[in-house]
Amino acid sequence: MSAPASGAAGPPPRPPTSPVARRPPAHSAGGHARAALALIALTLLVTAFVYPLFVTAVAQLIDPYAANGSLVYYPNGTVAGSALVAQNTDTPYLFWERPSLTDYNTTLGADTPPGPSDPALGALLNETIAYMEKYGTYTVNATLPFWLVAPSSSDIDPDLTPEAVLVQVMRVSENTNLTIAWLTDFVNAHITNPPVPYVGVPYVDVLQLDLDLLPHLGR
Amino acid sequence: MTFALGSLWDVIVVIALILAIAPWFGSYLGRVYMDRPLFGDTILNPIERAVYRVLGTSPRRQMRAREYMLALLLFNGAVFAFLFLYFFFQAGLPLDATGAPNMSWDLAFHSAVSFTTNTDFTHFTNESQVSMGSELIAWGLALFTSTASGLTVFVAMVRGFVRRDGTLGNFYVDFTRTMTRVLIPLATVFAIIFVLFGVPETLRNYIDVTTLNGGTQTIYLGPVASFQSISLLGSNGGGWFSANAASPLANPTAASNLFMTGVMMLIPFSTPFAFAQVIRKRQEAWPFMGTILIIFVIALGLFIAYQAATNPALVSIPNLGLSTNGYPVGEETRFSLPEASLFQVASVYGNVGANNLSIGSVSPVGQLVLLFGMFTQSTPGGVGCGFGTLLLFAVLAIFVGGLMVGRTPEYLGKKIQTVHVKWAGLALLVHPAIILIPFSVGVLIGAPGIAGGTVGASAHNFTSVLYELTSEAANNGSALSSAAFNDTTPFWNVTGALVMLAGRFVPFWAMLQVGGIFSEQEILPPGPGTLKTASWTFTIYLTMILIIISALLFLPVMALGPLAQIL
Repeated sequence: MSAPASGAAGPPPRPPTSPVARRPPAHSAGGHARAALALIALTLLVTAFVYPLFVTAVAQLIDPYAANGSLVYYPNGTVAGSALVAQNTDTPYLFWERPSLTDYNTTLGADTPPGPSDPALGALLNETIAYMEKYGTYTVNATLPFWLVAPSSSDIDPDLTPEAVLVQVMRVSENTNLTIAWLTDFVNAHITNPPVPYVGVPYVDVLQLDLDLLPHLGR
Repeated sequence: MTFALGSLWDVIVVIALILAIAPWFGSYLGRVYMDRPLFGDTILNPIERAVYRVLGTSPRRQMRAREYMLALLLFNGAVFAFLFLYFFFQAGLPLDATGAPNMSWDLAFHSAVSFTTNTDFTHFTNESQVSMGSELIAWGLALFTSTASGLTVFVAMVRGFVRRDGTLGNFYVDFTRTMTRVLIPLATVFAIIFVLFGVPETLRNYIDVTTLNGGTQTIYLGPVASFQSISLLGSNGGGWFSANAASPLANPTAASNLFMTGVMMLIPFSTPFAFAQVIRKRQEAWPFMGTILIIFVIALGLFIAYQAATNPALVSIPNLGLSTNGYPVGEETRFSLPEASLFQVASVYGNVGANNLSIGSVSPVGQLVLLFGMFTQSTPGGVGCGFGTLLLFAVLAIFVGGLMVGRTPEYLGKKIQTVHVKWAGLALLVHPAIILIPFSVGVLIGAPGIAGGTVGASAHNFTSVLYELTSEAANNGSALSSAAFNDTTPFWNVTGALVMLAGRFVPFWAMLQVGGIFSEQEILPPGPGTLKTASWTFTIYLTMILIIISALLFLPVMALGPLAQIL
């Protein structure tokens, strides 16, 4: 710092107070590059470590069931799956899930059904209906609920509308020693109703239903 | 009509709640970027000062448009490089329990660009092609940085209206405050609420189970809630699972679906109020809110009505029963029709790009509605850049209006000149150009991936290609995912990446330029000839300009795809 040549005492004159005038010079290009790298390192520290680990710790503390994937178990205690993930229950004595274009193989991700005007859509639905009707009688007038035969968006939708589950009662009854009346009550007891009217629709978690059915089948 | 009319009420409540929160949250968002005391200063100010010191910057270093853009580009370029390298070498990096292989160069390029530009369009299957480390470390970084970058450009542009010295702010300060004051706290709170709704949050990557019929199934898990929360909050829209928000693990109940819809709408619907806060004129938010709401509500109504209609292609199937909840193909059981529709329309109109249904399965009119939202990309549009686009539309509208009545057009005391309109025109014209030119070239040369090629492709296949490019140009990220269009070839990976880059950074450059030129101008007092912008007349006028420009630019190409599907 160079002192005034005249040797006059006192501080140098105050700079003008206008924000423009007291502004420091702009960053150099190298300064920007260094700042960008430092900013990435700092952001990464938060987004890859602090944030997810903090949320995970809190989640495991307040709701371990949900945080670990809503796992459901067989009567013997081994993991049967997640209450939120449909699986292949394609046996005559169990209630069936919605059809899946990936055959419930989560590794394949989700497949998109044919578009609304695509002829392949009608063919796919006809094929599903024929497959289902081969395995048992459903209703008197032989129509199947749309939700039962339509592929879902996630291909692992574990839920079905109550009528799409009830329509399967006759087939399940034919393949087990359980009566239609008992099965109907059993399904009705598994309907999840909207917590507040019209927030969502009534549905049955088919995987949970089948798991609860297993002891009654002696399996 | 095949859904209960009563199920509309919760959708109306969500929109009403957002409108109630938006002015309050918007003014908070605005104050984040203003130099005045704010809630949380005692804790956050020292942290922010420490960050500035590490970065070698200071809030007193103000940047002009060119320097602001340079800082933004360097930072986003570095994020891109990090992502590209991570994906390209992911098999050798940590957290690859599922054995995801290294990405090919073109896929890594497309993915890294996609996440850096807030698009989050994916050309891969998450479960088998990306490692947990790639999602958590690389992609997770971009979820935050791309959101914050959008907001910094927004606020820099808006500052141009209230400054006279040519500066727009400091990129590093704006970025840091966006992270500390908005994104990190909100994402944390929302992620914890997601867990209470049933979303997993664990470091376990997957679990193998024996299914009820004796087969095996792999259930993929991970820190889904924390990923999903910033993804939806920041209009990224990427999903931890490839089924995105349709996956029951990512979006377990109707209640979680409504909450996530609110999370997606929060920042885009609050931004007009943040703008009004920064320019200190509360009433100026309403013309933009009006325009957004008019277009959004019409779009939502059309979408719901056509999803409720019977698909004429299926009436001939004899054994198919009716649905009491809309059109089941490609939809999830647990959502009512209006809830699923609100999520989807909010996601595409807010340029989030998440999906809770299969967009390829929705009615042709529904697909047209979604496409229109990406053509305007500003009602409300993505975080920050959506409102920036709307401001450019307003600049154009005021200029055209001024010419019609023969007065010098001005907005908020700043004269609008030819140079502003040139930049606005560039930003608004680059959007159709980067959709229509690659679309025409790809279709004409018979680029690999389009089933049927140039002549044999169906209207649905044309729509798939158009949707893909539109989604990339608007930095949206939703996909029609048609089996007839394979977009994972090098041609579409590279084309798509270039479209996303142009769709992101050319408008950013134009927004900063417009803001920078405004910032150099004097602020004129309103005169008797000043166009009153906070009025219904201007709201309707802006809406019409938006609709006419978007419709005129895209009508021919819409005729090839979605319109041909409807007819």
